[in-house]
Amino acid sequence: MKEIVTIQVGSYANFVGSHFWNFQDELLGLADSPESDQTFKSHNLNMDILYRTGETQQGIVTYTPRLVSVDIQGSLGSVSSRGTLYNDVPDTSVGALTWTGHVTTQTSQPLKKNLFLQSLYVEENKNEGTLRGGNSGTSDRQSEVQDKDIVESLENEVQYWTDYSKVHYHPQSLYELSGLWTDIRDFNNYGIGREAFLGVQHAEEINEKLRFFVEECDRPQGIQFIIDDSGGFSGVGGEFLEKIADEYTNIPVLLYSVRSPVSCLESQSLKMRISRKLHDAVSFSKLSAFCKLIVPVGLPSLSTSRTSKYLRVEDQKPYHTSAVYASAIHSISLPFRMEPLGPSAQLSYTCGAMDVNELVRMLAVQARQNMVTILDVAMPAPALTGFQGQQSLLENLQPLTPETAEDVEDLHALESMTVHGVFGSGDNDVALLILGTSFQQDICSKRASVSEIKDAVEAACAKAVERPRFSHLSIAQCPLPIPLPFPSIFNNLVGQNGQLLDTPISNCASKGSLDVHSVPMAARLRSTNAILPFLENRLGNLRKFGIARGALGTDLLGNWGFTKDEIEEMGEMLSSMVNTLNPVSHESSDSD
Amino acid sequence: MSIKVLNPNAEVVNKSQALHMNITAAKGLHDVLKTNLGPRGTIKMLVGGAGDIKLTKDGNTLLKEMQIQSPTAIMIARTAVAQDDTSGDGTTSTVIFIGELMKQSERYIDEGQPTFLRRSTLLKYYDAPSLYVMVMLLKIHVKRINVILFIAYDVQKNTTKSAGAKHIGFLIKVLHLVGMHPRVLVDGFEIAKRATLQFLEKFKTPVVMGNEPDTEILKMVARTTLRTKLYEALADQLTEIVVNSVLCIRKPEEPIDLFMVEIMHMRHKFDVDTRLVEGLVLDHGSRHPDMKRRAENCHILTCNVSLEYEKSEINAGFFYSSAEQREAMVAAERRSVDERVQKIIDLKNKVCAGNDDNFVVINQKGIDPPSLDLLARAGIVALRRAKRRNMERLVLACGGEAVNSVDDLTPACLGWAGLVYEHVLGEEKYTFVENVKHPHSCTILIKGPNDHTIAQIKDAIRDGLRAVKNTIEDEAVVLGAGAFELAARQYLVNEVKKTVKGRAQLGVEAFANALLVIPKTLAENSGLDTQDVIIELTGEHDKGNLVGLNIHTGEPIDPQMEGIFDNYSVKRQIINSGPVITSQLLLVDEVIRAGRNMRKPN
Ligand SMILES: Nc1ncnc2c1ncn2[C@@H]1O[C@H](COP(=O)(O)OP(=O)(O)OP(=O)(O)O)[C@@H](O)[C@H]1O
Ligand SMILES: [Mg+2]
Repeated sequence: MKEIVTIQVGSYANFVGSHFWNFQDELLGLADSPESDQTFKSHNLNMDILYRTGETQQGIVTYTPRLVSVDIQGSLGSVSSRGTLYNDVPDTSVGALTWTGHVTTQTSQPLKKNLFLQSLYVEENKNEGTLRGGNSGTSDRQSEVQDKDIVESLENEVQYWTDYSKVHYHPQSLYELSGLWTDIRDFNNYGIGREAFLGVQHAEEINEKLRFFVEECDRPQGIQFIIDDSGGFSGVGGEFLEKIADEYTNIPVLLYSVRSPVSCLESQSLKMRISRKLHDAVSFSKLSAFCKLIVPVGLPSLSTSRTSKYLRVEDQKPYHTSAVYASAIHSISLPFRMEPLGPSAQLSYTCGAMDVNELVRMLAVQARQNMVTILDVAMPAPALTGFQGQQSLLENLQPLTPETAEDVEDLHALESMTVHGVFGSGDNDVALLILGTSFQQDICSKRASVSEIKDAVEAACAKAVERPRFSHLSIAQCPLPIPLPFPSIFNNLVGQNGQLLDTPISNCASKGSLDVHSVPMAARLRSTNAILPFLENRLGNLRKFGIARGALGTDLLGNWGFTKDEIEEMGEMLSSMVNTLNPVSHESSDSD
Repeated sequence: MSIKVLNPNAEVVNKSQALHMNITAAKGLHDVLKTNLGPRGTIKMLVGGAGDIKLTKDGNTLLKEMQIQSPTAIMIARTAVAQDDTSGDGTTSTVIFIGELMKQSERYIDEGQPTFLRRSTLLKYYDAPSLYVMVMLLKIHVKRINVILFIAYDVQKNTTKSAGAKHIGFLIKVLHLVGMHPRVLVDGFEIAKRATLQFLEKFKTPVVMGNEPDTEILKMVARTTLRTKLYEALADQLTEIVVNSVLCIRKPEEPIDLFMVEIMHMRHKFDVDTRLVEGLVLDHGSRHPDMKRRAENCHILTCNVSLEYEKSEINAGFFYSSAEQREAMVAAERRSVDERVQKIIDLKNKVCAGNDDNFVVINQKGIDPPSLDLLARAGIVALRRAKRRNMERLVLACGGEAVNSVDDLTPACLGWAGLVYEHVLGEEKYTFVENVKHPHSCTILIKGPNDHTIAQIKDAIRDGLRAVKNTIEDEAVVLGAGAFELAARQYLVNEVKKTVKGRAQLGVEAFANALLVIPKTLAENSGLDTQDVIIELTGEHDKGNLVGLNIHTGEPIDPQMEGIFDNYSVKRQIINSGPVITSQLLLVDEVIRAGRNMRKPN
């Protein structure tokens, strides 16, 4: 088996991760549930790639994500970092066994669990023993009312990423950085994060957690690393990545640097703006130095972007925006866990399996040495009805990566696309898959078969005006399941199974998990020169504020612990990234 | 977990406010930490918002759990944590010493009012002639007067000297009333600090280390520290372990690397099961069902060699021109891995031929299932992804060398262990590498029923290890239980103060009194009457008896007799860093700048 270990560093990364794991948990639950749709029962995805099987000291089997999550102290809200699976001895019943003298207890105000977490708790105690998570998505009428309350409460109350997490984490998974002694608002640059990581024993403890998960892997295919690079956590992650590159030389790291629209707000003061720009430049060059493929994710305004054609996200809610990014990351991760087809391939539910290494090689190593890729998503992906549908699939794929160019021509572009759960035209549908009986049946909601999708997408690509030099396609029949704690971010053109409606059926403004149960998706990683503005901005800012003579930010970079040489090295690295994509026009100064 | 010390205060409006804020912050931290101090201090159980527990009696750990936001408190906390990083102990003492220095200073400094008085104000109390004399006397007696006495000199000329002299006693009060610039105190602190450090040199108890360290004194130091963190029986049990483990890794003429003592824990049973393993305990096991779970007489190969199928960077790729080509590539890769494995097997066959010896491979890199299969079939036990540091430890424990390639394997590369066995607890596996010949690395294995108990024991062990290491490297110890602080205070008051001119004397005095915070707090934490205790103890010191506090009775004791010793380097650093940070906090201007630099870009 080719395992993937996931790492999430920083608060927004954990917001994204929380949704990501909710999807996985939902898939697990749906596969187990007798009522669920055939597509979910035989999705042909190997969940063991992302999950590990374990056992408590009492011999109870557990199934938890292979995950290391790092966040600031206090970011877990009402959830304990140890989780609940492995708590054999209830902690509170034991006092101080090691001290016979006085004991004082300082109890923080217990954080109240929200309605959703309460309901999870109740449900768990009801069917004790079934530790494999999963909310099957179906519910009887009585709890329907309650679900509505839960959804509403989440909409209004989510504060921590744990507030909407339905997943059981392993006690080794969650790590809180303590002793930072800064307000999270001041934890806002690479330097401060790096210092925090190197300072105390954090580095060692985090590395040990990772080692715990890697040691178990027989053939680790890669590390999926999500980092909130908007502030100090990118320093933490940068140092962590360096250690990983050093220790696990053969395990490729696929890095998503994510940030929330909130973090993109322009600051008032010049100093802060310079600091921000330098941070972005430094952080990007540091992070990209220690991974194999980097995918910058996070639009300054997701709600007004073209990605949100069928969405109603609120930019100021990390709970909302992170759900979109998580969905795209989920789609991209599907090929890594598709079962390669055996010789006796019966009915195929997937095609285009590849591992992290193959993806990296294809996009960043084989042809052009560009490791910075753009993430595009179509959420929901349109049905592939006729030529029109095919066209709109490509049109709907819009970038989640900021600062990209539009309509550029790149004959050397490379891409990898995943399409899953999309609807077909309905006529020549071999594997006619009826959706869950509890759902309203809909004539047009028939999932297209793998071969249908393949043909349609290939046809669309062939007709497209701009064609990449190479394109890889992965297909799964299983759509994105929408778990109960998913935010209400769909607009009223999205149907119950994610199909796009011509006319809005309901008058409610936004739809969430109660109205939309699954969504067809398409996502794509693109290696193209459309990323040039992103790179050039960073290079330009580093030169202007950090390298140029008398630059305003030199002291700042010094404070962050960078020497002049290091900064120049970063400059060179950025400029060579630019040159790779744009060898002609750039008259850069780095000829030595 | 949050214990808020002070709410954040971003910009400081003016000097005196800032000074006030600093004093309050220092006192705040002092108050939180003081109950920790000493063997009768209070252990703190911190229950977080999600119900998880941290247990600590250690200043360092407690500080890290706090969400400190006041820049001043952060500065103090950083100093204290730095104290722990460099010397491993004395965090609590540092914080309370700084707090006390600030408190003492407060008595001399007038914080909120302007630092000048109008003549009109003073005239309410004194007639003009007296005032004139007072001002003159002030100028004579106190050379470095920093306050501005805003007094007009239009006083009568015929005032006599004696008339003013009557008021000499009041002069001091005026001084206090008028307020004293912190600079004066700071100068006094500096003098007192230097004098105290000199005094420490005389006061310390030298310990001869040589080839055979004096284990008794090492045990006393370790026990003193451990008993401030764990109940006596447990502390005493760990004392042996801690001392023995440092002696195990110590090499003559080399600095002691405490990393060579592995600290491993198991969530299991009760804490008295903690023990010293001469050898190594690894937190993982072999990954093949057919490998032995227990093996005697083991050759140990410590290596950092990839034994897994690698996707080599250049050749292999996505676009194979044909399926055959791909197959061939994969086969070639596999073959080279198998060859590496075979080299290890060859070595095994060589050393284990004709005997019952076993062979164990401990690898820092990965070992994939086909390689595990080959090794298992050859009767080899193999562990993968060992901690980087264990490469070094293994070699120190078992001998041999850590190899980075299997090309030149010889029997000389191998180490030896009499016994290697696996212990399984749920999903956790431990591998014990024991019965080694001349270990220079060892493992302290902590057992505890839950995480917070384990964490607390671990902290205590770290303190103990550092105490032993410090003693060996310092070649000296210092009498504890407050004896040093009492003696140093007496020296400052009796010997140093009189050599200082002017008001800097007050700084020396403040410093001397601040030292008493240690015995005072020890007494307070033991439920004793601090005043009585201090009177009695200072009395003994006046008589020339270097006593400390008996924390059970409040009476004086001889720390030497009782074996209560602290580390010389820890004391030294407390004396050094306390006044430095206090001075910065008192000279407010500098503080604010320093504080800001550390936190955000300017
Ligand atoms: N048996 C004892 N009787 C009296 N005083 C003692 C005894 N043992 C230790 N002490 C004193 O207790 C003080 C150390 O206490 P403690 O270890 O709690 O604090 P610390 O070393 O300043 O900080 P920390 O260990 O939290 O970093 C020293 O001054 C030491 O002399
Ligand atoms: Mg101590």
